[in-house]
Amino acid sequence: MTALLSIENYHLDIPTFDGTLKVLDGINLSLAQGETLGIVGESGCGKTVLARSILGIGPQRARRTSGRMTFDSMPLDELNEAEWRRIRGVKISMIFQDPMTYLNPLLTVGRQLSDVLVAHARALSRPALSRQERRRRCSELLDQVQIRDPERVEASYPHQLSGGMRQRILIAMALAGEPKLLIADEPTTALDVTIQAQILDLLRDLVHRLGLTVVMISHDVGAIAAIAQRVAVMYAGVVVEQGATNDILTHPRHPYTQGLLGALPDIEGDHQSLEAIPGTIPNLIHPPSGCRFHPRCPRATAICTSDKPAMTSIGADHVVACHHALD
Amino acid sequence: MLSPAITPSTDANTDDGSILSVTGLTKVFVSGGKEFRAVDDVSLSVNAGDVLGIVGESGSGKSTVARLVMRLIEPTAGRIVFEGGDLTAKSGEELRRMRRHMQIVFQNPHSSLDPRHTIHSALAEPFLIQTNLRGIELERRIDALLDIVSLPKAFKYRFPHELSGGQKQRICIARAVALEPRLLVLDEPTSALDVSVQAQIITFLQELRQRLNLTYLFISHNLAVVRHICDHVIVMNQGKVLEQGTTESVFAHPQNDYTRQLIDSVPRLPRLAI
Repeated sequence: MTALLSIENYHLDIPTFDGTLKVLDGINLSLAQGETLGIVGESGCGKTVLARSILGIGPQRARRTSGRMTFDSMPLDELNEAEWRRIRGVKISMIFQDPMTYLNPLLTVGRQLSDVLVAHARALSRPALSRQERRRRCSELLDQVQIRDPERVEASYPHQLSGGMRQRILIAMALAGEPKLLIADEPTTALDVTIQAQILDLLRDLVHRLGLTVVMISHDVGAIAAIAQRVAVMYAGVVVEQGATNDILTHPRHPYTQGLLGALPDIEGDHQSLEAIPGTIPNLIHPPSGCRFHPRCPRATAICTSDKPAMTSIGADHVVACHHALD
Repeated sequence: MLSPAITPSTDANTDDGSILSVTGLTKVFVSGGKEFRAVDDVSLSVNAGDVLGIVGESGSGKSTVARLVMRLIEPTAGRIVFEGGDLTAKSGEELRRMRRHMQIVFQNPHSSLDPRHTIHSALAEPFLIQTNLRGIELERRIDALLDIVSLPKAFKYRFPHELSGGQKQRICIARAVALEPRLLVLDEPTSALDVSVQAQIITFLQELRQRLNLTYLFISHNLAVVRHICDHVIVMNQGKVLEQGTTESVFAHPQNDYTRQLIDSVPRLPRLAI
């Protein structure tokens, strides 16, 4: 199976007044067609920067220092802006945490959805759709995101819709170009649990129905577990562990993954005490030498401070970057 | 007078053991001539030393209850009795004196601290307002507070922007317990924090409750956190109490359909094999 998206040894720096942030430090990921990959990590681990880099909308001053990204056998790092236009939002699209920020409050939802169709036609140098065709396509898209009363929704302004509804609209817009890859950056974080469950159901349904490939980014392990077949765990700009979701969640091998899971309170109410990970996330201007997790790691030894651990395969679909991986 | 070190307060419970009891609490907001019942006839009571959780989704009225209990906003109707005294009937000096016994910690630590004040002045403020403590005694108390929340004393000289989210929330908690309150209202205290930091704060709150004999009113939308920390729980929706009981019974045998739906919506994780 050839990968739809592959990221190899990707390094990204962001220069700041205080020094250069080493935001991504050798990321390796690959994603097959139809697969859903979850990227989980805490604030500042680089998951959003990574997601935006896939779409070529990373921070403006960010510099790729080495590595590459390939999508559908196209080298993403070598595209010019005209080429990007044919891919961004069309072949690869993205949804975000706070849908309200990405909708224009002054235009109706129908108008904004139809604008997306116009923009895509222009980007792909296709003849513009007629008004009727746009109408038809809009209701088709709203139907795909399971909106039952498309007429009312199309005539509404964003503020007249609920948060869950707005996220559905954003997903509909993302689907407008019939993308191969959908990047979902914390799509359910701003939503109530009952709505979150609905949106996760919808995403699962889209993967199933449209064969969509999804990269879902979240700090919420539960949301990731609900949707992703594979998970990559990020810490301080490094993927520390990657593999099948069930495998990672039941047999975490990296001390950070184990710490993260141990810190989660359990809804089933096993009254075990929460295990906090001591310390705080490192400053990425002067990241810790060797393994970036070593200052907080209970298993750290001398080698962890000097050598960066390589990704090692420890199972059929399970890799870990740790000198002292758990059994 | 204030004792020099923070000691548990054990006095002043009412007969039935409840430290806070609220009856028929209602808050109606009026906007554009339209009435909105944010809180509708809510009654609850918290026993001294207990943790009562209020869960609900956005708009359920749970945060409004927190603000009403603190009398940060005025109720439309209802009674709030704190340690036997009717809070709703008090005002002025009398209310100010009551206030030192009940404190609140808000969701967003980044907006709860004045960016132009050092941590020192944030922590000194409750003492300057409520006590005559000054000089070296005040310094000692501030150091003791930093100690309670496990932060280095040198943090006194820092400004909020030099602290992480979890550290700021610790400062907010330190400030809230400065005057040895008996009731701490925690309004989504970990919602703005990462899970590993959330675990630190929750563990810390549990220890602190034991150490200072505190009572918590814990407001959260995170059911797993509520299950973990609360003894009793109230489920709210659209301003009304739908269900209440011990945490164990509400989570294990929810009686109300909405409660059941809420609990079922939380994504489950496969068991750790360790």
